[in-house]
Amino acid sequence: MSNQYSLNDTVDAIVIGTGAGGAPLLARLAAAGLKVVALEAGQYWDPKKDFPTDEVGQDKLFWNDERLSAGTDPVPFGSNNSGIGVGGSTLHYTAYTPRVQPDDLQLKTDFGVGVDWPISFDEIATYYDEIEHFIGVSGPSEYPWGPARKRSYPMPPLPINGAGQLMERGCEAVGIKTSLAANAALSAGRHQEGLGHRAACANRGFCQAGCNVGAKSSMDVTYIPLALSKGAELRSECYVTQLVKNSSGRISEVVYLQNGQEKRQKCNYVFLCAGAIETPRLLMLNQLANSSGQVGRNFMAHTGLQIWGEFDEDIRPYKGIPGSVISEDTHRPDDADFAGGYLLQSIGVMPVTYLQQMARQRGLWGEAFKQAARAYNHVAGINILGDCLPYDFNYMELSDEKDGRGIPKPRVHFTNGENEHRMTAHADKIMRQIWEAAGAKNIWAYQRNAHIIGTCRMGHDGGANVVNADGQSFDVPNLFISDNSTFPSALAVNPALTIMALSLRTADQFLANRNRLNV
Amino acid sequence: MDYHYPAGTVRALLQTDDVTEATRQTLTERLEKPRRQPTFFQPDEAELLTCIIDRLLPQDNPAGRIDIVGVIDERLTGNQSDGWRYDSMPADRDAYRLGLKATDESAVALYGAPFCELPTEQQDEVLNAIQAGTPPGITWQQVPADRFFEELFAETVGAYYSHPLGQEEIGYVGMADVPTWQRTKLNDLEAREPRPIN
Repeated sequence: MSNQYSLNDTVDAIVIGTGAGGAPLLARLAAAGLKVVALEAGQYWDPKKDFPTDEVGQDKLFWNDERLSAGTDPVPFGSNNSGIGVGGSTLHYTAYTPRVQPDDLQLKTDFGVGVDWPISFDEIATYYDEIEHFIGVSGPSEYPWGPARKRSYPMPPLPINGAGQLMERGCEAVGIKTSLAANAALSAGRHQEGLGHRAACANRGFCQAGCNVGAKSSMDVTYIPLALSKGAELRSECYVTQLVKNSSGRISEVVYLQNGQEKRQKCNYVFLCAGAIETPRLLMLNQLANSSGQVGRNFMAHTGLQIWGEFDEDIRPYKGIPGSVISEDTHRPDDADFAGGYLLQSIGVMPVTYLQQMARQRGLWGEAFKQAARAYNHVAGINILGDCLPYDFNYMELSDEKDGRGIPKPRVHFTNGENEHRMTAHADKIMRQIWEAAGAKNIWAYQRNAHIIGTCRMGHDGGANVVNADGQSFDVPNLFISDNSTFPSALAVNPALTIMALSLRTADQFLANRNRLNV
Repeated sequence: MDYHYPAGTVRALLQTDDVTEATRQTLTERLEKPRRQPTFFQPDEAELLTCIIDRLLPQDNPAGRIDIVGVIDERLTGNQSDGWRYDSMPADRDAYRLGLKATDESAVALYGAPFCELPTEQQDEVLNAIQAGTPPGITWQQVPADRFFEELFAETVGAYYSHPLGQEEIGYVGMADVPTWQRTKLNDLEAREPRPIN
């Protein structure tokens, strides 16, 4: 069972952040018998009580300390691209869990741009298999793209929603292959180690907020309970402010605020898993691990263009898993004039999310907007997720402005480059064709970049990267990073499954090398 | 197509076991919340903001008015953020103060009177100029007009359509999820899903 350590104890490891990067690793270290403490800035929610089916009522799941979005294509945060609470942003991820394809990891080799990953696909795939079966991923028995799988998904796919049916119809008409998608939500109830029974998905379509039945495989109902059952200690509402280095250059203590009080926990190792903004922010604030000058650099955000349309059919976009259909036919299109590629997904949508997007980009207001809003039940979307290259002009820095805690706000610069513009134009054309073939009217495009990646890049060369392939800092030997910040490239898939895979890999590499590390 | 839905659907569902207790509490509180006496906005600012919002999302529901200005005022009073802002924009409180002042400047420059005193056609022309990022007025140098319009309208829409009366207007009943949704095929509705009336 879960332990409680004293501030006077020197614990083996402190894990900062409990999302997709922190939770799997926390469970792995605890299972190996280590004394581990997780520090989570947010609360430990009770989904039944705390998650109303209401978008505004769930904005507590977003990291709402203000971030400044700069550049030509400013990236939104809050409801996008952030998370807080035990489980991190997996509390409100759409649960889309496609695997990468091997060539996603070698853009440099294949196209001469970006960088290659320092880890092989096969190594990551071993972890994909383990994770899909542990957290519960529902998916098709045969998946048409990528290498053969060791096992099929542990559960059959979820029921297909309205947008998915329309995407199948449109894609068939224009000759694009589709498949039911892999989603980390249960198509049937099952036992979860460390937790007990988890109910099947209620098709409530609210996945971009918290799941109130426990069917979505967020970390709070999967790796966190496992970690606690293996003896990890979880401290929620603990906001880390300092990583204290001793004279030998190792972090000896983590300082955090709990109920307004400063506390200090001694430790042998630190695993920083706070996501692609808060992780580099903490390093910058503490002037740590940055001899390469690369902390905060290489910021990437997926190309994520959405195409929306209104259909004669009654769709009710609030029903069913939002991303039920996928195509990876555009992974490496024959007619591409860009590096990398993208996938296509159908999207269901919650009303406030959809209508606020419409408010920002469709140009309508007044009665014209209200009429378009009344078509909500007839609306369906498709979107892409595609590669984004690293550029010098895209980075995160600390601003002079302070947030409510008195800490400098992060400023994130983001501008799409030529490659992203070409990919987006390619996708715009294809998605409009699909939607027209499916019968959409009043088609409109929502320009966006989604998922934040790459501010503490991993690689073999300590001069150009922040951490090595195991997630270990080149500068501070007992500091490891495990989250989306270490990705060397953006990948043409949603990142959560790969973040979890790297998290387990980092834990396993750490455990295997611990004696050597423990100098 | 212009769809219309019957009134009262969400309010009726809130009385049933089709919604969880957490959902009922959240939505009922929002529905029954009295109109807020602004504490961040000065009376003249609140009046101007009301005039603007009445053009952005006109309200004519006999069941009641959604207090959008109150939602914004409450957030700004608490200095709460939604997690980000455009770097080109001043802090939210300043952005609202400046944007309101600038809107009146534009109204005077274009039509010779403050915004609230203009006929609706001229109010709409002022708002079109702000949305396009090209309104006259020196204060717009401190707050980009097109971003001010975008942020104000997005917040307005959030307040309106998260309210049960706004949800009824668009036929949304996703909050009634306790029985689970089993009919996920196109055109296949469950009994509690309202049909459009036309």
